[in-house]
Amino acid sequence: MQASDKGETINESDICLEVRDVVKRFGDLTAVDHVNLQIRDGEIFSFLGPSGCGKSTLLRVVAGLENQDQGDVIIAGRNVNDLPPYKRDCNTVFQNHALFPHMTVTENIGFGLVERKLPKSEIKEKVAAKIDLVNLSGMENRRPDQLSGGQKQRVALARSLILEPTVLLLDEPLAALDRKLRKEMQIELKRIQREVGTTFLNVTHDQKEALSVSDRIGIMNEGAFLQIGTPDEIYENPGSIFVASFMGATNIFTGNVVSQRDGKIELETSDGLKIFAPEPEDQSGDQVSGFSVHPELISLKPETSGEPPADPTERTEFHGTIHEVFYQGDFSEFTVALKGTDMLMTVHLTRGRGYRLQLPEGQDVTISWDFTNSNVLRG
Amino acid sequence: MKKKRTASKILWVLSILTLIFLWAPMILIIVFSFSNNKYGSSWEGFTLKWYLKLFTNDQVRDALMRSLIIAGVTVVIATLIGTITAYGLYKLNFKGKQFLRTSILLPIVFPSVVTGSALLVFFTRFLHIPLGYPSIIIAHIVFCSPLAVFIILGRMQRFDWSWEEAALDLGATPFRTFLRVTGPQLLPAIMASAMLIFPWSFDDFVITYFVAGVGSTTLPIYVFSQLRFGATPVINTIGTLFVSVTMLGLLLVYLMQKRTKTGS
Repeated sequence: MQASDKGETINESDICLEVRDVVKRFGDLTAVDHVNLQIRDGEIFSFLGPSGCGKSTLLRVVAGLENQDQGDVIIAGRNVNDLPPYKRDCNTVFQNHALFPHMTVTENIGFGLVERKLPKSEIKEKVAAKIDLVNLSGMENRRPDQLSGGQKQRVALARSLILEPTVLLLDEPLAALDRKLRKEMQIELKRIQREVGTTFLNVTHDQKEALSVSDRIGIMNEGAFLQIGTPDEIYENPGSIFVASFMGATNIFTGNVVSQRDGKIELETSDGLKIFAPEPEDQSGDQVSGFSVHPELISLKPETSGEPPADPTERTEFHGTIHEVFYQGDFSEFTVALKGTDMLMTVHLTRGRGYRLQLPEGQDVTISWDFTNSNVLRG
Repeated sequence: MKKKRTASKILWVLSILTLIFLWAPMILIIVFSFSNNKYGSSWEGFTLKWYLKLFTNDQVRDALMRSLIIAGVTVVIATLIGTITAYGLYKLNFKGKQFLRTSILLPIVFPSVVTGSALLVFFTRFLHIPLGYPSIIIAHIVFCSPLAVFIILGRMQRFDWSWEEAALDLGATPFRTFLRVTGPQLLPAIMASAMLIFPWSFDDFVITYFVAGVGSTTLPIYVFSQLRFGATPVINTIGTLFVSVTMLGLLLVYLMQKRTKTGS
């Protein structure tokens, strides 16, 4: 299955990395399955997917650390299929940093320049500039075991950036850091990228990280891209059941299209629920497998009798009972059992939207959302 | 509780007995090597004359030099072979790898008498290698390289191979990568195996005795030949020498391990 880029065309000269029909197999397992991809010059592109989806393998194929079984890797217009890693114009930040333990920070960062046989004075100058860029002043003579996780991360970043690669490959660089540090490093990563302008190719399994650092995201599963787009496209309009559930749109209705008119598309689930959503851009109801709606877009209130039901073509409204409540701090997560079905829906109420409502478990409630908040899924 | 105490007491006694049997002979040899008693078996005042006698004895000096040369050459070649073999066994995938890996153990577990006699027959009947330095050194390499293979392979299994990938990724060719990253990281293990091989080769008796031929007396063979005259004080001094060399090797290994532990 191939990803669509929402009709966007990328200017030929803007492409700094292209992957064409790449296949990588390990024995019977196809880790990367006929992947095509174009990365623009100067963007942060994230491969996002669950572990084992082939994202790291694809990155390693680009780096030259794995050889693909089929297809081409083109960096800056040059086919690099036959080039070993040490001749490719890309550098990698490894997940465990892979700093050389017997070298100081300065020696680690200068490693690649020594291989390029630059004069010592020039190496010294460039290393000093990179130490400054990643805020490591004062750490020059430390060895990796004397550095914290975040500092190691910065050394690894500087060590790769100093070679001024066309593409910087980041293999889950933040996965080993704790939550707070990870947040800090995300901000750092973005700042550094804006400062040097290098294209970043980032591999991650963390949705929040991908959304906050990326210019574009490619969602991967089973060795292929399911959807490529900007963070808001991916989050707000997931195209398939997998992407929707992976990105946290936990409310997914599967069913069949029963009508299409006035720019609206109507779905009927196997439980007989009827939901309206805006018609897709191509106005086609083909291959529609279901709708998704994000938990934070749903309103929740205690059931009151006597209120007239909403117009179902404008506002989807269901009755149910509170099943469980999970306090999260900035928001509360409610699961609601829909009446007449065995479906559980998830609703998030932020503090601003009144999660202090007295809604104990077992309370009868009405949940509703605007039809424009329903998102059409295919496949 | 009480039962535990008795058990712990028994354990203490056993441990002390073991240590006595382990250390007492060596301590006695060292002490008596400085004793004035001419049978080297009791204390009659301090003297260095046995050492003087040792170093003015041509036979001893010859044997010592021979042993040092053999051990020196063996250490260099066996460590080199061991490093390359370990690297190949770790990095390459080929049919029969597991078999080869296990079979390398054979020289260590085979009785020395078997290895020695087999090598003797092999050298004299088939390869016609002259007995003396060539045969002794080859024999020593045979039983010493496996030790290097296992020490270095052990280090490689704990090695973070992403270092190697990082070096390649940063523009170093495979050779430069070995020179700048893999080599330096394996150096402690390589040195440790050298330190252990040296005493192994230096004090080997059985295998050397088989393949030495006539006139190639190494120090252990000399010691054995002197036993006909009973334990002389000179033997004590040689024993002290052996213990010192071995302890020095072990001490160096210990210090290096301590350094790498705090280093990484």
